[in-house]
Amino acid sequence: MAKKSEYRNRIELVQGTLDMLILKTLQWGPQHGYGIVQALHTQSGEVLQVETGSLYPALHRLERQGWVRSEWKKTDSNQRARFYQITAAGKKQLASDHDRWQQMVEAIAAIMQTTPGGE
Amino acid sequence: MRFWHRRADDIDEEIATHIAMDIEARVGRGESPEEARRAAMREFGNTLLVRETARGMWAGEWLERVMQDGRYAWRQLMRSPGFSLVVIGTLAIGLGATAAMFTVVNRVLLETLPYREPNRLVLIHADGRRGEVWSAPWLDVQMWRQQARSFEEIAVSRNDFAATFLEGQSATQRVDRMWVSANMFRVLGVTPAMGHGFNIPAGDPITGDPGDVAVLSDAVWRDSFGADRSIVGRAVTISGKSFTVVGVTPRGIVFPARSQQPQVWTALKIGPEDSSRENTVPIYNTLARLKDGVSLEAATAEMKTIQPGVAKQYKDAFASSMVSSIILKRYGATLVDKDVQRSLLALLGASALLWLISCVNVTGLMLARGTARQREIAVRGALGASRIRIVQQLMTEGMMLSLCAAALGLLLAVGLLQMFSHGLVTQLHVQGIVPDWRVIATLLALTFLSAVMAAMWPAISSARASIEPALRQGGAQVGYSRSRQRVQMTLVVTQISLSLVLLVGCGLLLRTIYSLRHAPLGFRTDNIIVGSMVAPLYRYEDRDIIATLYKPLLERVKAAPGIDAATLMSDVPLGVNFRLMFSFAPEGNSAEAIRHRDMTAQARIVGPEAQQVFGFHMLRGRFFNDKDTAGSPGAIVVNRAFVDQYYQSGDPDKAIGQRLLNFTKDRPGTVVGVLDDTRQVSVAQQSLPEIEVSLAQITPGARFYVPATRGRMSLAVRSALPTSVIVPRIKELMRAASPELENTTFTSMTQIVEDTYGNQQIVARLLVCFGGSALLLCLSGLYGLLSQVVTQRTREIGVRVALGARRGQVIWLVLRQAGRMIVVGTVTGVALSWFASRLVESFLYGVRPHDVLTMGGVAVLLVGSGLAAGAVPALRAASIDPVEALRAE
Repeated sequence: MAKKSEYRNRIELVQGTLDMLILKTLQWGPQHGYGIVQALHTQSGEVLQVETGSLYPALHRLERQGWVRSEWKKTDSNQRARFYQITAAGKKQLASDHDRWQQMVEAIAAIMQTTPGGE
Repeated sequence: MRFWHRRADDIDEEIATHIAMDIEARVGRGESPEEARRAAMREFGNTLLVRETARGMWAGEWLERVMQDGRYAWRQLMRSPGFSLVVIGTLAIGLGATAAMFTVVNRVLLETLPYREPNRLVLIHADGRRGEVWSAPWLDVQMWRQQARSFEEIAVSRNDFAATFLEGQSATQRVDRMWVSANMFRVLGVTPAMGHGFNIPAGDPITGDPGDVAVLSDAVWRDSFGADRSIVGRAVTISGKSFTVVGVTPRGIVFPARSQQPQVWTALKIGPEDSSRENTVPIYNTLARLKDGVSLEAATAEMKTIQPGVAKQYKDAFASSMVSSIILKRYGATLVDKDVQRSLLALLGASALLWLISCVNVTGLMLARGTARQREIAVRGALGASRIRIVQQLMTEGMMLSLCAAALGLLLAVGLLQMFSHGLVTQLHVQGIVPDWRVIATLLALTFLSAVMAAMWPAISSARASIEPALRQGGAQVGYSRSRQRVQMTLVVTQISLSLVLLVGCGLLLRTIYSLRHAPLGFRTDNIIVGSMVAPLYRYEDRDIIATLYKPLLERVKAAPGIDAATLMSDVPLGVNFRLMFSFAPEGNSAEAIRHRDMTAQARIVGPEAQQVFGFHMLRGRFFNDKDTAGSPGAIVVNRAFVDQYYQSGDPDKAIGQRLLNFTKDRPGTVVGVLDDTRQVSVAQQSLPEIEVSLAQITPGARFYVPATRGRMSLAVRSALPTSVIVPRIKELMRAASPELENTTFTSMTQIVEDTYGNQQIVARLLVCFGGSALLLCLSGLYGLLSQVVTQRTREIGVRVALGARRGQVIWLVLRQAGRMIVVGTVTGVALSWFASRLVESFLYGVRPHDVLTMGGVAVLLVGSGLAAGAVPALRAASIDPVEALRAE
């Protein structure tokens, strides 16, 4: 039970957005799992902390869908790691995900900005 | 599988890399290596869970999981072999019984005929005053052929009632011969395995001359001709006449369907004798193939419009009234006896009930085990197994137990079928019956269902239990939940009531068998041996077979040492060889003659010694004696049922001296005696009207000579000697009289009597098996639950004893619980039986379906044995030592 309250301090990802974020991150180039976590962390202004328990299943799911591809390579520090790379299908998916996301954000924003009583 | 292992290793490495990178980064930020490692691990979370979910993203992973569950389940089963064996054994009983019964049902009721589109094959039967008429003269068939539009083609066949002998390569073999029209195999849709089959004559396929040709069955071809491929085109001798072989049927294809004897078919010819509808003309069975798309109902409707025209052709009004209407039946539907069908379905129901009981029993066992395993399951839950995963795991265990049980059950089924093979052969005419793919498929479905029924509930209730208390407390008191115990009690009650239903059925059948055994037969059965002879009639066409073959044989048998009496008979009482029905031919139009026409009776041709052998009791007059000869006035003996039914007075005295029928045109027969009633057809069936004539008065040309000598005759012998001595002695005499008689089969009269209630016998025996098993299962369920309860309440009982409870009170405490379950189970069981016993009503004899005595007896049996099963744990509870019980906690 103690665990739950700890989690509340973090912003939880809106469902279904993790895939999009991963694909977006991979657009800059192949990256390994740890790298993706770090990238998301820094790019979100240290707000988002992706759970590994969600990240790895998501990566494997994306690979099965054919949106990313993986291979074992050496890192700069000469360590073996599995690098994920976005595929052409993945880029298409990212574009459509992004569009939908945009629409949703606008829709939500429109609702949230309406002041009570003011038409 | 290796692929999935590689994937698992891959993910492990990926996770390790992630953590290593994190540590590196943290150390780079100035944390100590130890601190960094711990923080990284914490940050990452449950590595196992990550690995499992990541792998779960890949299809096919479920297979891996099933394998894993399977391995785990196997280890679990091996860890408690006792429990596993009990579960497997229990389920195997239910599955085995059901598989065995389904095997029989599948073979007898569900098997499709080996012909092309057998559903389109129908029999055409006239119907009228005396019910269905199975065969018709050729002129009727011809009218059907010419007028009906519903059929693609109609074929006819004629039974050869006389025994047929085929001269094979080395020996003469008895075969079943059927005369069929040349187009019969075309109608059946059977192509010969060898040869072209019958040549269908140009012009009309039935009336054209097909020649003297024969088709052999595969069995005859193998047995008599050593599977010689050059047989087609050769001549063979069938009952003394030569036929050219034109074909051999494919293996397993016979007609009539399911005939067990080796068969041959010869082409029939329609001749001049077929040009009238007199009583004496040949009659044919008609098999038709419906046109594609024509329903049975439509064809029947059409035939109903045709039949009145056919009936009109009969000059005699009475004869016409016998064929006034028509019935069409699918060929397949005529092959199964209604009685057999009913008994099979009842037995299938009983076995399904047993299966249900075994499943309920196993559910109870699994629940009890779920209680014992609660900690293990809680630990698995704490380690991150989801509820679904735990249910899946427990279901796999159930499935595995069930599969083992299915394998064992299959063996049991084969054994059960073996055990009852005599009954199956005599009652159902199925031989060498083994489970086939359809049975296996059904068994697998049942197995799966058993697993679901037995494991689902316990699995879900185990998975739902909260983890924390189970882990915190531990110890034997864990899981003693009232609701779960209530469920277990309900299960036991269910078993008791279902078992009671089976036991009531079993009790009713046992009482039926008892009544049948003690039914008055009207004749003696002790020390009688019956040989049913099948003689080569074709060799006696110009001689009197009675005078030249049977009589001399009888004299020699009578003279043999150790024979008290011997007689010849067309068939013994209750015999199944052949049944002769007698109906009066139209003789004149006097009031008397017209009244006679509605009479039908069993006819029997007997020797005068029959009374000595069977001890028939005469009500009035005399039985036949040596003075009734071919030259003396015709003598007739009737039975009491005949007098009751056909003489308005019902007075046997008045029947004596009545003229009934003519032996020959100028030789009238009069009634000389009235027999007391005997059972003729089956023990359960009341006497039917019967007339008997003396064999000595039946000469060629006389009435009855032809049916009496169609090649079958029974020899009944009374002798105090054991069968093993007497049978070879008689056989030797028979062989000397005619070599073909060597194959005579001998049975004891007691066996013949028992075979007539074989249906009830086999149902009773199987129900005893099923009922006994059900009783054992429900008692073990009761015992198991009470033992568990006593174990769980050890401490409470200890406290009670410490506070001064007496032994009797403790015993009462446990027995009260047992008693409640038994009483509730028995009451619901009796209520269920009240409805269920209707299903066996048709088998019962001498006992009503709602027989209070049977139900009461079964209830007492259940209550008594239930209390006995409960007494064991009760006594154990009473012997609990309070000091031990309290310390143990």
